[in-house]
Amino acid sequence: MKWQIISSDQALYFHSWDNECVVYNSLSGDTHLLNLTASQILLKLQQSPTEAITLAKLVPPTDQSESHAEHELQIEHLLAELNALNLIEKCQSTINYNPPSCR
Amino acid sequence: MNISTLTLSELGHRLKKAGMFLQTGTFITHLKTSIPSVAEGIRLLYADYPLVEHLDFADFHVSLTYPRNLRRWLKPQIQFLFDGKPPFKPLPADQAFPMLEWGLNWCVSSHANHYLIIHAAVIEKGGYAAVLPAPPGSGKSTLCAALVNRGWRLLSDELALIHIGDGRIVPLPRPISLKNQSIDIIQSYEPDAVISRKISDTMKGTVAHMKPPANSIIRANETAHAGWVIFPKYQSSVPAQLKKLSRSRAFIRIADNAFNYSLLGIKGFETLTGLVDASQCYDFTYSSLENAIETFSALEPPASSK
Repeated sequence: MKWQIISSDQALYFHSWDNECVVYNSLSGDTHLLNLTASQILLKLQQSPTEAITLAKLVPPTDQSESHAEHELQIEHLLAELNALNLIEKCQSTINYNPPSCR
Repeated sequence: MNISTLTLSELGHRLKKAGMFLQTGTFITHLKTSIPSVAEGIRLLYADYPLVEHLDFADFHVSLTYPRNLRRWLKPQIQFLFDGKPPFKPLPADQAFPMLEWGLNWCVSSHANHYLIIHAAVIEKGGYAAVLPAPPGSGKSTLCAALVNRGWRLLSDELALIHIGDGRIVPLPRPISLKNQSIDIIQSYEPDAVISRKISDTMKGTVAHMKPPANSIIRANETAHAGWVIFPKYQSSVPAQLKKLSRSRAFIRIADNAFNYSLLGIKGFETLTGLVDASQCYDFTYSSLENAIETFSALEPPASSK
């Protein structure tokens, strides 16, 4: 299953300092403080919709002693949190219709 | 000419009849009142402000009056009117001057949305401003009052105005609000400071206002670069200490202290990122004003702001 940035043009605005990032969601009016991993996930999803497994390969773990399975799990947790914050959403994939961004 | 050229009687007459124009920073307020304690407060604390004659325009039209109710005869009250309407409930008549000050803060924080407005004191030295956002009780105004008595320029004690277009910090020098023990602390720290009489039993405790330095009034049109964002906190028996704060965390805390960040939408986000980008950000704890002044004197200007 692929994830994507919430589907609206120019909904999210980013600014990063050092290893953290603030994100402004112009749809909700909320501002969020994200750590390095979460902000890297958002930036990857901004480029193209991506699955959790692929993100785990693209976004390096912050803790080098973490196993790949643990890292994948952490990515999945972060995706769920970003989804709860209305920053990302699941791509709607049905038999009849795939939005262009999710193909 | 400034307001000090008027006698108390002339000032009272103007306020009662046609009203008078009060220029504070970029704002002009038309004020009308017959309440003697307001005239006395203006005569004492606004003496160095320009005497503005007969304008066609004012940003805010304000009056303080006695409400027409039975309390007028028992426990007199006063009400603050904005465009003829009361935004707040009346207060005891003794609190007329503090109510004017709180009302003027409300006028700016509720209407001046061409600025990002942060609940913060702002002071300036060498062209760079230090923004001190803090909730009530953190010692922000006490620290601000001490700093402006030791060479820093007062931009504001209460409202940091960040210009949305260029990110410059715009002065709004007005009397500094002191509460409870801070009143005696500042009077003893700077015996020459002009402080209004204490008013007790207000919603903020005992309050008084300190007259802003004349030089800050003269320079009220000089904007400043953002230099530092410093979150002050008074704690007893601690050394003065600046602790570096990550810019992202500072951003979130400033947004929490802003009046209109959400209202401004993306402009608020961009203006605030500009402020944080240009500033060094710190938490600051202190117990001694002298040590706090030394710490502020040693602040290095940001390298890339100008």
